[in-house]
Amino acid sequence: MPVIEVDGLVKSYDGKVVVDGVSFSVEEGEIFAILGPNGAGKSTTVESIAGLRTPDSGRIRVFGFDPLEDRAQVRSRLGVQLQESRFQDRVKAAEVVETFAALYPDPLDVSSLLERLGLSDKADTRYARLSGGQQQRLSIAVALVGRPRAVILDELTTGLDPQARRETWGLVEELRDSGVTILLVTHFMEEAERLADRLALIDAGRLVALDTPQGLIDSVGLEQRIRFTTAETVEDDWLRHLPEVSGISRSHGEIVVTGDKRLLFSVVSLLASHGIVPARFQVDQTTLDDAFVAMTGRRLATADEESG
Amino acid sequence: MSAIAALAKTQSKVFLREPAAVFFGVVFPAVLLVVIGFAFPNATDPVADFGGRSLVDVYAPTAIVLGLATTAIFLFPVALGGDRERGILRRLSTTPVHPRALVVAHLAVQLVVVTVASVAAVLIGKLVFGIAFPASLGWFIVSFALGAVSLLAVGLLIGAFAPTASSGQGIGMLVYFPTLFFAGVYVPLQVMPEGVRTISSYTPAGAAVQALSDSWAGGVHPTSGLLVMAAYAIVAGSLAVRLFRWD
Repeated sequence: MPVIEVDGLVKSYDGKVVVDGVSFSVEEGEIFAILGPNGAGKSTTVESIAGLRTPDSGRIRVFGFDPLEDRAQVRSRLGVQLQESRFQDRVKAAEVVETFAALYPDPLDVSSLLERLGLSDKADTRYARLSGGQQQRLSIAVALVGRPRAVILDELTTGLDPQARRETWGLVEELRDSGVTILLVTHFMEEAERLADRLALIDAGRLVALDTPQGLIDSVGLEQRIRFTTAETVEDDWLRHLPEVSGISRSHGEIVVTGDKRLLFSVVSLLASHGIVPARFQVDQTTLDDAFVAMTGRRLATADEESG
Repeated sequence: MSAIAALAKTQSKVFLREPAAVFFGVVFPAVLLVVIGFAFPNATDPVADFGGRSLVDVYAPTAIVLGLATTAIFLFPVALGGDRERGILRRLSTTPVHPRALVVAHLAVQLVVVTVASVAAVLIGKLVFGIAFPASLGWFIVSFALGAVSLLAVGLLIGAFAPTASSGQGIGMLVYFPTLFFAGVYVPLQVMPEGVRTISSYTPAGAAVQALSDSWAGGVHPTSGLLVMAAYAIVAGSLAVRLFRWD
C-alpha cells in the first residue's frame, strides 16, 4: 500500500483553479519530490494532504486514512514542515521541540533529536538568534519529534545559503535512510535532482510528468553537447562523418559538438585516433531544468538565482 | 490536558522574557497607584466628591482594570496575531492537538498575570497608603473574575482575525485607549459628567471599575455591572469562537 495517495485532486480559490486534477502516490521509504515553479499549486497540494485544505474534488489517503475524516490517525503518523513556518522570537530551541513533543503520544527524546540535527549547542538559544539554517533544522526537528512514519518538507531550503542548503540535504538523506518516507516540495531543480527518488513535475496546477529524475531527463530525448578546445587542427569534416553527430559550431576557439547519447564515446575515439589531447573537455549534462523547459517552454528557478 | 499544560509552561516563559509585557502587564497597576498616591497632595484624605473616599481609594479599582485591559486588549491580540503570522496556529493544526490548545494556554497564562497584577495593586494600596481590603471580598472576586473574562473575550475577538502581530496591536490600540478612558484612568469615574458615566457603565471596563468599587466599599451589590460584563463575555466570547481564523 502506498504511504500517500492523491487521486484527481482539484482545488480552486475564488474561481481560480490552483490544483487541476493532480494524481500521484508516494511509496514507503522513498524521497518523492513535487517540483514546479512558484505558484504551480505545490503547497496547496501538500496542505491538502496534511488536512489543512478541503479539496473541491479528488481523493487523498495517508496510510490509508482520509486527512479530513481521520484527522487523528493522519496527524499521529505524518510530520509536516510548512513553508514559511516560524516560532516565537523569545522561545528557546529546546523549548520549541519539548512543547511540540508534549502534543504527541510517543515522542522522540528531545535532546538526542537536537543532537542528531546538530542543534545541541543551540538548545538554550532563543529562536530569533538562530541562523536561517538552524531555524530550518529546528523546524525539521519539530516535524520529526512525534516519530512520524512520513514527513512533508515544504520549501525546505528556500532562503538558505549554499552551505546550509547542502547540510540540510544531507539531513534529508539520513532521514530517508532511517526509514522515514519523505514528500519534498521544492522549486529548485538541483534539490529535486539531488534528493528525489521519484518526482512529480507540476506546472500551473497540472501534473506534467511523473518519473525518476534521470527517467524524466531521458524521456525528453534532448541532445548531448560536448565542448572542447585544442591547439591542434580538428577538421569539421572529421566530426561530420560521425553518425552520432548532429551539429558542429565554433566560438571563441571552442568547438561545440551536439548529437545523441553515444556522442561522448565517438568524439573521444575520433580525437584519440588523430592523437589529439584536448586542452579542455566538457560534457554538458542535460538537467531537470532543460527537461522542464522542453516540457513546458519555461524555466525553473535555480538555487543561485534565489539566494543571490 | 498535558498538551495545554506544556503550551502554558512555554508561554509563561516567553511572557517573562518580554520585559515590556511584564512591566505593563504585572507591575504597572501597582506603580501607577504609587505614583498617584505620591504625586497628588492629600491623595489619601477623604474627598466629598468621591463620597468621602480618598483619591487612592477611587483609583485602586481603576488601576486593577488598567492592568486587565493592558493584558487582555493590548497584549493578547498581539500574541494571537503573532502566532497566526508566524504560522504557529497552522503548524499546530498538523499535530494531533487542535491549535485552540494554544489559545487556552494563552488565556491561562493571562489569568495568572492579571491576578498577580491585581493582588499586587491591592497589597501596595494597603501597605503603602493604608487603604482597606475589599469589604465584600466575595463580590470583589466575582467582579474581578467577570472583568477579566469579559476583557479577555474582547481581546480574543480582536485576536480572532488579526492576521499579524502589528495588526493585532493596531486594532487593540483603537479599543485600548477608549477602554482606559471609560475605566477612569484619565479622569476618575466619580467626577465624569453623568452622561459619560452612564456610557462608561455599559462598557466592560467601566462596569468592572464600578463593580470593583462597590464591592470594595461594601454594602452595595454590583449586580448591573456584573450583568454588563457577563453580556460582553458571552457575546464577544462566542463571536470570537465563531470567527476565529486558524490559519
